[in-house]
Amino acid sequence: MNDSKKPVAALSNDSTVSDGTTARGRHLINFTSKYAMFGVLVVLIIVATMLYPTFLNPANLGNILTQNSAVGLIAIGMTFVIISGGFDLSVGATYALGATLYAGLTIQTGSVFIAGVGALLAGVIVGTLNGLIVSRLNVNPFVATLGTSSIIGGIAYIYSGSSPFIVNDNPAFQDLALTRILGVPLPIWILVTAFVVSAFLLAKTNFGRNIYAVGGNFEAAWLTGLRVKGLRSSVYILTGGLAALAGMMDASRLGVGQADVGAAMALNAIAIVVVGGTSLLGGEGAIWRSAVGLLILATLTNVFYSLNVSQHWQLIAKGVIVVAAVAVDAIVRARSRN
Amino acid sequence: MANQPVSALVCAGVSKRFSGKYAVREVDLSVEQGTVHALVGENGAGKSTLLGMISGRVANDEGTISVFGQELRVANPRDARHHGLVVVYQELTMVPALTAVQNVFLGQLSSKLGVTSDASMTERFLGLCQEFDVHIRPDVPVRDLSISQQQIVEIMRGVQANGRILMLDEPSAALAESEREVLYRILDKLKERGTTIVFVSHNLDEVLKLSDHITVMRDSQVVDSGPRSKWDKRSIVRAMVGKDAEIVRREGRPTLGDTAVEISGLNLHGGLHDINVTARHGEIIGLWGLVGSGRTTFFRSLFGLIPKAVGKLSLGGQEVAWPRSVREAISHGIVMVPESRRAALVMGMDSKNNYWIGRKPPIPFLISPKRENPLAAQDTKFFGFNTKRMHEPVRNLSGGNQQKVLLAKWAGRLPKVFLVDEPTRGIDVGAKVEVLESLTRLAADGAAIIVTSSELEEVLAVSDRLLVFSHGRIVHELDTAKSEYTVEEIMKFGFGESEEIA
Repeated sequence: MNDSKKPVAALSNDSTVSDGTTARGRHLINFTSKYAMFGVLVVLIIVATMLYPTFLNPANLGNILTQNSAVGLIAIGMTFVIISGGFDLSVGATYALGATLYAGLTIQTGSVFIAGVGALLAGVIVGTLNGLIVSRLNVNPFVATLGTSSIIGGIAYIYSGSSPFIVNDNPAFQDLALTRILGVPLPIWILVTAFVVSAFLLAKTNFGRNIYAVGGNFEAAWLTGLRVKGLRSSVYILTGGLAALAGMMDASRLGVGQADVGAAMALNAIAIVVVGGTSLLGGEGAIWRSAVGLLILATLTNVFYSLNVSQHWQLIAKGVIVVAAVAVDAIVRARSRN
Repeated sequence: MANQPVSALVCAGVSKRFSGKYAVREVDLSVEQGTVHALVGENGAGKSTLLGMISGRVANDEGTISVFGQELRVANPRDARHHGLVVVYQELTMVPALTAVQNVFLGQLSSKLGVTSDASMTERFLGLCQEFDVHIRPDVPVRDLSISQQQIVEIMRGVQANGRILMLDEPSAALAESEREVLYRILDKLKERGTTIVFVSHNLDEVLKLSDHITVMRDSQVVDSGPRSKWDKRSIVRAMVGKDAEIVRREGRPTLGDTAVEISGLNLHGGLHDINVTARHGEIIGLWGLVGSGRTTFFRSLFGLIPKAVGKLSLGGQEVAWPRSVREAISHGIVMVPESRRAALVMGMDSKNNYWIGRKPPIPFLISPKRENPLAAQDTKFFGFNTKRMHEPVRNLSGGNQQKVLLAKWAGRLPKVFLVDEPTRGIDVGAKVEVLESLTRLAADGAAIIVTSSELEEVLAVSDRLLVFSHGRIVHELDTAKSEYTVEEIMKFGFGESEEIA
């Protein structure tokens, strides 16, 4: 050996001894499991195109993306939360609050801008509340956000008097959803921008790395001197803001803001995250995975509609997919441990 | 009683390897019925693994284990239990929210004929309390009981489940002096009933007091085994350490710089008593003591993990407030490599990122592989890490490589005081040498290092000065360059006694 400087170096060369698999074999397994979901997406798109060639029409694709831009935004926030080791069940209620406030404040103030700022602020406040409850009071995130979800839902109902705010005398209200830039609707721009920015934030910044650390090993992150409480809170704040924005976009599209929407948002967003392959255990996952998850579920929904599968069967299918995705994750983990 | 002695437990040629390395090697052990058998040895000698195999928690690779003549199935805790083996581990295994009575009868509720009423269970429980001469409230959740009471409840559960052989792993480690007496009394009572007892202990007084037979393990093997009459404290220590145990000392004296850290009058109620430690640049201080002697508590309080600790701290001649949080400690330049790698590394993250978390990135806010990789590589390499594996999740790395990453992570911050807890626990011999050798190089570069380990030879080998901890005090301080004491003598300090020895 050339590097005779270190006589003991040979002893540490234990890459193949401990687990029996060769490095190449391991890389192959890693590669396949990492990009398997891309394969699923491609297959799904091929199936969809065979079923109805119009699938790939720009108009259809535009529709799919527009319809899913709200849940996509929420899934981004959910990805942050889940990677940080948390969970947010209050996104549906925050989404409804955002929609209600955006419409209600538009009617009351006449200014779409003030309404937008108000709705976003409310989302951020909800997120801050979630973050404080989880990180300072150490309440299990599941329970904490289930509780705030009920509180926010109640507030949205009280504010709206249980009836929808219909905005029909302010055309600017629908700008958020209907404006087109280069022929592409604004919600799609917002969605794509949010994905790009958050992917950068999570993968390329120190903040992102700290989020992975907190979710991967809370104790280690704390012993390293990270501001673990602030980090844990930050993801809820981000998610609250995104959920409110999502609510605003949908209210704008429909011209109505009401409190009784968003019941399925949390499940749909979690489905997107786990189908993409982000682990519910925290510490592992990526934004691009959620993008793939979103496209898979959006395509699937489109296929279901085109086949006239009823809403009820779609619900069942969605539930099965979520459970299956998490089970597959658990099985792969158990395997790789051996 | 006049019968031939019956073997309650027989291990024949039992071996266990972990990734090719023997943890227990061809152990033969025979325990007579109704006797108390002690298993002693240094940490890592293989006692716990042996206990694990007997109880069915760990699969043995070779050999057989029989209980009252019947061979146990490999790695089957239910089978072991079925044959009357009961193990009381250091971490107790009860349901904290259930009462003492419910815990004692846990899992047997339906196995009785007819209906088992609460009243009859409580009656049995009180009967056991009377027999053991203890008072434990039957209706209180066990989480509200003291550790010693919880332990007794656990023993009762074993007795209730027809335990014929009771095995205890360090039963007295977590107990106060007075509570130990209660435990000893109960063990006596059990012995009278004919129960066979096997226990692991570091407390040699206890071993000599309780046991009929003593087995000493060293380096995964049984080195000696014999009746109590054959042993005294000195011979046990000698067998544990090995006659040819030679102290490998740090070569050459380093040139020491100014005082890097001075800790004076550190006190923690019930944990530490008037601890004074000074370390200079270039110096490695070794701390040694038994489990529970206070050396880890000392580390934890210096790293801001025990806000109740009070003491004076000065760094580089300047007095600073005693750290009350990890962040405060780190900002003072005090860093700690904890004994558990699992608690300190993000297992799913690669080495490079583990190295960087918690540090200011070279380009603010951003991750810049170009700037970060070389620094991480340089520092991990210093500790002998194979940098080709830098971008693999640390989960895939061996314990040795993980330890190197962890040391590099903290050493890379150029701390004023570098605390290292158990630097070589669970790593192989080659990595051990590298880690210890790199610590001395780090000190030569001017770092002030405080190392603690439960392996005395290791601390002696690496440190310039050794502080022996016992019962929360520093009971002895010695210069490792002057060989005034043998390993045995130092161990005796740690066992909490001075010169008078049988």
